Amino acid sequence: MVTEEDKMEINTKIEQNITVIEVSGNLDGNTAPVAQEKIMPLLISGCRLVFDMGKCNYISSAGLRLLLVIAKQLDRVGGTGAYAALTQETNDVMKITGFDNMFISYPTVTEAVKSFGKI
Amino acid sequence: MLRVDNYPTHKYKDFGLRHGKPLPFGASLVPGGVNFSVFSRHAASCELMLFKKREPEPYAVIPFPDEFRIGNVFSIIVFDLEVEEIEYGFKMDGPFNPEEGHRFDCTKILMDPYAKVISGRDVWGHDPDWQNVYQHRARIILDDFDWGNDRPLEIPTEDLIIYEMHVRSFTKHPSSGVKYSGTFAAIREKIFYLKGLGINCVELMPVHEFDEFENSRLSPVNGERLMNYWGYSNVGFFAPKAGYAATGKFGMQVDELKALIKDLHGNGIEVILDVVFNHTAEGDERGPYISYRGIDNKTYYMLTPEGYYYNFSGCGNTLNCNNPIVRNMILDCLRYWAAEYHVDGFRFDLASILGRAQDGSPMHNPPLLETLAFDPVLGKCKLIAEAWDAGGLYQVGSFPAWGRWMEWNGKYRDDVRKFLKGESGLVGAVSQCIQGSPELYRWRGTTASVNFITCHDGFTLMDLVSYNYKHNEANGENNNDGSNDNNSWHCGWEGPSTNPAVNSLRRKQIKNAISILMLSQGVPMILSGDEIGNTQFGNNNAYCQDNEISWIDWTLVEKNAELLNFFKKIIAFRNAHPILRNGLHFQNGDYMGTGYPDISWHGLKAWQADWSPYSRILAFMLCGAYAKQGQVNDDFIYVAMNMHWEMHGFELPGLPTGKSWRIFANTDMQPPDDIWSLGIEKELEDQKEILLGPRSVVITVGK
Repeated sequence: MVTEEDKMEINTKIEQNITVIEVSGNLDGNTAPVAQEKIMPLLISGCRLVFDMGKCNYISSAGLRLLLVIAKQLDRVGGTGAYAALTQETNDVMKITGFDNMFISYPTVTEAVKSFGKI
Repeated sequence: MLRVDNYPTHKYKDFGLRHGKPLPFGASLVPGGVNFSVFSRHAASCELMLFKKREPEPYAVIPFPDEFRIGNVFSIIVFDLEVEEIEYGFKMDGPFNPEEGHRFDCTKILMDPYAKVISGRDVWGHDPDWQNVYQHRARIILDDFDWGNDRPLEIPTEDLIIYEMHVRSFTKHPSSGVKYSGTFAAIREKIFYLKGLGINCVELMPVHEFDEFENSRLSPVNGERLMNYWGYSNVGFFAPKAGYAATGKFGMQVDELKALIKDLHGNGIEVILDVVFNHTAEGDERGPYISYRGIDNKTYYMLTPEGYYYNFSGCGNTLNCNNPIVRNMILDCLRYWAAEYHVDGFRFDLASILGRAQDGSPMHNPPLLETLAFDPVLGKCKLIAEAWDAGGLYQVGSFPAWGRWMEWNGKYRDDVRKFLKGESGLVGAVSQCIQGSPELYRWRGTTASVNFITCHDGFTLMDLVSYNYKHNEANGENNNDGSNDNNSWHCGWEGPSTNPAVNSLRRKQIKNAISILMLSQGVPMILSGDEIGNTQFGNNNAYCQDNEISWIDWTLVEKNAELLNFFKKIIAFRNAHPILRNGLHFQNGDYMGTGYPDISWHGLKAWQADWSPYSRILAFMLCGAYAKQGQVNDDFIYVAMNMHWEMHGFELPGLPTGKSWRIFANTDMQPPDDIWSLGIEKELEDQKEILLGPRSVVITVGK
């Protein structure tokens, strides 16, 4: 049964040649596998992605793990990506657990998109 | 490449299964699935219980098919599990016959003894769901931490300065100024402080998963909830305490602790874990079934011939450490922490229990201790024994060592404390302490001795000079708990005082204590908070106090800046002078023909120590030519200790031509003249004699 909490949506749009992937709803044990299935094909060599997490209400440990999997996969395939609008807590967790070195995060989508200009 | 070995061969309901691998024990990821393996010698059957996170009822119960048991090991591979979303446990059926040692109960859900992550107490102090039949829940770990170039630091043992701390106490106080107080993450925010202090090793009181609610009760004195605060009572040996992690609620405590260790290493600080292998949280026959009791009681615990629990730990049961199965579990556990967490060493709580045979008798060559001493993975780890137990075995100086084991030197603590408070007859004993206790460790070197004056057990250093008696009423045991042999002296008034003379004397005594500790050969250990005069308000056994009694008050950094400054400088002095960190004992002789012995003893007259039973004064001189057995050159160091309540003049021993005595510290002086900075010690006007105030220590450098 799909409940309200299980809802999670992924929408993509292009902004200044960069693919912005908006993740909305809850990213937890139920939705993370679905999200992973949808996002992984986008992680290809030379890709430039911004993950807009501003409408993501809740990220569980499984969701956190997915964010890491994405970061690692990007590194592996030679793509670039950044997270935007993560909550302070999620950013803190990444730092506290030592994963921040593989994890690029900006306060807003605009700043994340802009960051690609510097690369 | 398509693998052909990772497909199920058996089916149970919707689950694909395959013969498991008996080793390693625990839950391990294998292609396509998870390998579960658990030992039980006496169980007749075993079931694997799978839960969605935190759910009271399992979503699956998978019996181990009979053909999946090899020897005494049940193992099974289950395919297609959402490893991050589940928890697992076992049910074991077997005899319930306490006289024979068996206590199987097929209604109990049992945690895996090898569980690497344990949930159920995810956030410290949050009331658990007591209705949940599975309280301490095994989870499966993903091993994806990036250690970069990190490795255990392998600091030479003689160069260590250990700082013993409780993870929660260190930063829980509101004054700590950290974001996630009381956690592993918070310690990282204080690394600058630890570096500034100059220590190079932290010893963490137990960080294995324990239950802070074990024996929880309300204090009859103030109504506060008393907890199993220190955590000397393991639920699981392989899992870090979730409640110590800011990310425990996400189940990321493993990564958080690893990130802390990596960060400490990056700052030149080693990590020693205080490990408790003497008992478990299951208590005696009245205690709960968590794991071991229901998996194989007779193997895991020492039992009387009638099947009751031996209680050498003082905590209800005793882990059967020299049973080969348990021995291997301990070895697996320590290897895991050394290899996966890059831990630099271990301090073994009540380690003498590890040398007891299965019937409780002390062994001559305990195989467990020997195995640990020679184990390849643990080959560079520091191994420190608390060389006694609650069953009366006291092995300070005689703990089986094989050239590896160090000991908490309890005799050092007692002798130095008595000397500090002005007891007579201690001069000989203190001369031993200064030398790294050769009477105890002649053939083991100075590094066998971990010197300490205070540790978590007993008074803090400030309380040692502020209380004659323990004040443990808040523990709710009518002040009957905790040691009565504190060798403490309150400097004229019991407890906090407004008398400047009393407070000044207390500060001086603290400086005397840390000076003696830092000038002694061996490995010094400081209790966290002593450097800022932290108090536990006279409580010398704060094992149950999750409040201001235990929490370090960071406002003292400012209030007692004088003490902190003294600590920093005396630690820097030790770090700067290799003659204070010799690995081998002094020979009390001029074996290099320098004209001076490596160490010499003095009194009010140079070269004439007063060894009489009434003496309260002692001075010694170290000749820097003998630093590291002559491999490096150092200055002369002369230290005079006057523990008499009168002032005395000490004749200074003569130095070679061209050298002169410079004062580094004089605990009788007020700041800033109490201690100088390295390299700018002030040359003494009088090179023949120095006056020592009552109860004070003077340190001079000859160069």
